[in-house]
Amino acid sequence: MSRLEGRVIIVTGGGQGIGRAYCQRLAQDGASVVVADIDGAKAESVARELNQLELEALALPTDVADVASTERMAQATIDRFGRIDGLVNNAAMFQRPAVMRAPFEDIPVDEWDRVMAVNVRGVFLCSRAVTPQMKRQGYGKIVNISSGTVYSGTPRFAHYVTSKAGVIGFTRVLAKELGEYNITVNAVAPGLTQSLEDMDEATFQQFEQRSLNRAIKRVQTPQDLVGTISFLCSSDSDFITGQTLVVDGGVALN
Amino acid sequence: MPRLEDRVIIVTGGAQGIGRAYCERLAEEGARVVVTDIDGDRAEAVANHLRGLEAEALAVTMDVADQAATERMAAAAIERFGRIDGLVNNAAIFQRPALSRVPFEQIPLDEWDRVMAVNLRGVFLCSRAVIPHMKRQGGGKIVNISSGTVFSGTPWYAHYVTSKAGVIGFTRVLAKELGEHNINVNAIAPGQTQSLDEIDDTRMQAFERVAQVRAIKRVQVPEDLLGVMTFLCSSDSDFMTGQTIVVDGGMVLH
Repeated sequence: MSRLEGRVIIVTGGGQGIGRAYCQRLAQDGASVVVADIDGAKAESVARELNQLELEALALPTDVADVASTERMAQATIDRFGRIDGLVNNAAMFQRPAVMRAPFEDIPVDEWDRVMAVNVRGVFLCSRAVTPQMKRQGYGKIVNISSGTVYSGTPRFAHYVTSKAGVIGFTRVLAKELGEYNITVNAVAPGLTQSLEDMDEATFQQFEQRSLNRAIKRVQTPQDLVGTISFLCSSDSDFITGQTLVVDGGVALN
Repeated sequence: MPRLEDRVIIVTGGAQGIGRAYCERLAEEGARVVVTDIDGDRAEAVANHLRGLEAEALAVTMDVADQAATERMAAAAIERFGRIDGLVNNAAIFQRPALSRVPFEQIPLDEWDRVMAVNLRGVFLCSRAVIPHMKRQGGGKIVNISSGTVFSGTPWYAHYVTSKAGVIGFTRVLAKELGEHNINVNAIAPGQTQSLDEIDDTRMQAFERVAQVRAIKRVQVPEDLLGVMTFLCSSDSDFMTGQTIVVDGGMVLH
């Protein structure tokens, strides 16, 4: 039996990397998946992959930082599937060159603003767009992607880390506000994860170094996260809300 | 396919209340369950019940505070099933009259010692008994039951809360020590849960008062804990270790 049978779940930033792995796993577990991505062609290609496996999927070009775009995302989901059961707030800016690694005072102010617009305001906007429908249904699952860097206070990354700490705060408030509608809101804080697109040598060495701090000493991959996402989108987690689950092979102990 | 197909999982304190619910759910998911309890007759009754559901089960009479008994238990599990994949450290002293609810300085010393012997030393002893087998197999799942009271600092309950905080510390150390053997060690911190055996009126009123403080405002029941238990015993959580998952309907936000 498929755990997510009949559930309609939106994954933002689902067009590539870890987001794509979430889409694949959720679809395999029986969900109808809405692949939302700022890159419409990539979203389309993930949806097509899933359709070819006879899995239900819809691609929606979405800019999570644009309120009108997030509202269209919610409406198009309802038009196609008639409901919204889950939202995985995965879209985020995290990679160079878009996000630089520099001492906090060297971060350009407009780059700080852009990171906050996507990583924090984007989570707010997407949640805002889907919760009216979840309230009508009297049920819903929101999963926000935070980051292990919040616990380690990773230096030279102040905008990213601050934005991901904000996600935890938002998760907690939303959990309290939406509990009466049986909407659970939880966060996942992954360790440094090698998504398929990260291939260069220096980055790989950094991944391997990071592995040595783990209890489970290996490089983290998107596959290590998909079980937790599926769990938090399923009825198995219906009494868990406001929590942050660290999935990092045992670095940060939360 | 059942998620826990063929896994051999030991549940301490499995003969009643929440522990019994864990045994039933793990068996439904395909596990072969070792039901251990200080009350051997009740353990046998639960094992019989599981066999009636076409699950394999073994009952073992065990006092978790008795080192020799924990070693006999591990040997019995190996003799019967040939392996040990999971250990749920659930046995604990928590109810009146065994536990008084009084200011800390009024807790009888022997009661403090007894609580620590079962709730903390028992977790140490049972883990110690099964880990050699898990190491040989190159993997395993240990799930320790802590308590939401650790986060709320529930007054008049110093021995219990202290013991359950110790469980979190032990979980973290063990996670670091056993990661290289692919043994995951995590804790669950449940909110106040109405187990089947407690039904008196004053208790029920206390449960309903607690429910009002939750994001999801209802009395917590053993069913609310089973999904996370399955998750932590399954391969879906293989890269999660050293973590404490609060399951309380959104009271403590961790």
